[in-house]
Amino acid sequence: MSDIVRQLDDELAGIVAAVRLCLVQVRYRDRSLGAGTIWHADGLIVTNAHVAQRGGLTVTLPDGQTLPARLLARDPDCDLAALSVEAHDLPAIPLGDSRTLCPGDWVMALGHPWGALGAVTAGIVVGMGADWPEILPGRNDWLVASLHLRPGHSGGPLVDAQGKLVGINTLMNGPDAGVAIPVHVAARFLKDALDDERRRAQPEAHVQAAGDPGPRYI
Amino acid sequence: MPGVLQDLSDAMANAAETVGQSIVRVEGRKRLAGTGVVWSADGVIVTAHHVVHKESGIEIGLPDGSIASASLVGRDPSTDLAVLRAETNSLTAPAWGEIDSVKVGQLVLALGRPGKFVQATLGVVSALGQGWRTPPGGQIDRYLQTDVLMYPGFSGGPLVSAGGEVIGLNSSALLRGVSVALPVPTIRRVVESLLQHGHVRRGYLGVAAQPVRLPEALQEQLGQETGVLLVSVEAGGAADQAGLALGDTIVALDGQPVRHMDDLLNLLTGERIGVSVPVKIARGGQLQDMAVTVGEHA
Repeated sequence: MSDIVRQLDDELAGIVAAVRLCLVQVRYRDRSLGAGTIWHADGLIVTNAHVAQRGGLTVTLPDGQTLPARLLARDPDCDLAALSVEAHDLPAIPLGDSRTLCPGDWVMALGHPWGALGAVTAGIVVGMGADWPEILPGRNDWLVASLHLRPGHSGGPLVDAQGKLVGINTLMNGPDAGVAIPVHVAARFLKDALDDERRRAQPEAHVQAAGDPGPRYI
Repeated sequence: MPGVLQDLSDAMANAAETVGQSIVRVEGRKRLAGTGVVWSADGVIVTAHHVVHKESGIEIGLPDGSIASASLVGRDPSTDLAVLRAETNSLTAPAWGEIDSVKVGQLVLALGRPGKFVQATLGVVSALGQGWRTPPGGQIDRYLQTDVLMYPGFSGGPLVSAGGEVIGLNSSALLRGVSVALPVPTIRRVVESLLQHGHVRRGYLGVAAQPVRLPEALQEQLGQETGVLLVSVEAGGAADQAGLALGDTIVALDGQPVRHMDDLLNLLTGERIGVSVPVKIARGGQLQDMAVTVGEHA
């Protein structure tokens, strides 16, 4: 009996240690604005739109290194923002599938509540989808979990029982419900943002893409 | 690599999915819907009394997304339970777990269906105690307290064990500020009474009473320190017809000692209605045996 609890403890500690490597602070001068999650090894960081509301932001990595960040894209409707830092070989978080999550599934959120770095809160999935008449507005998909999100968790990762990213923490609703943006919504946002970025960088490619759909492979 | 946590996560999600097939949305009041649990496949649903304001034209949101209409079979405000009958035969009853298998510290889920889909919250059984009486007077077989969160619309929903058995019904209206669940024996007793009689039958004597200390001689003779003193006897009521009078002290009913009000209320069960039972009273310092035919509470 206590064996399984110890096993569970060890496993949780391992997952938390791994996820913490992918968790950053988003700062403006000497103030911490919230958390961010390393999406790609080449410096792509995802956070909330309400965290990245201005220019001149910096990102502090788990090893303490602080880098200037460029705001790539921002969408207040789904509360997401993409930041880019000049860095390579960063530990990107493994992606999970938010569409296969069910009510009852175990999840954990990491962030910096009240400035406590890398703090963890755990709970289960309450529900998924866009049907939250009592709690949430809009038509976007949300992921609601029974855990304690606080200011400072915003932009941090919500991971499943294997430490894979299933959501980006966004807000608390009452004392005991945490809301996250499902990872499939974040992936779509980042794809659009990066496509736009590429078009800006290579106008010819943009024209070609619009005029010529290219070969259709079968 | 999947490990123990993934197994635990899968087990809880499976329990939510399995029992989710047996829980429905109950739209029986103006604003927020409540949740109900399927009692039998032929359309009987048990839910919380306080989420049902209407008697007919109640809408039930089924697990497959369709809507069935339902009417009220009966309600018991004292235990906050109501039974509905929906016009459908496609329901699945959940597995019910007996209270003897429940342990303090075990993981439990609270489920609700406030909208189309099932929602779940996690907690542990915080306390398991003896029988208790709710503020409105309902007799609950065991005190079952959890730390699960009740989201809006969860009232009337099930408390589910990790094994996927329903071990209670959650209500946010029984006690303020604590999550208390009704254990299965209470649900079974109330539902069966509501199905049979449309209400929970309670015995009635037609008296008002208060506990009093007995004279020392009687204390020794009976082996009990207190009884209940009749401070008012309803004219023509069961006690009046039996010859009980103002100032009598009931010390036993049907062979069971009556020390406090709770003892008397617990003895006035549905089975004793219409039955002549022996009652022992203290009158003028002497014990007397009489018989009373228990009436029925309106």
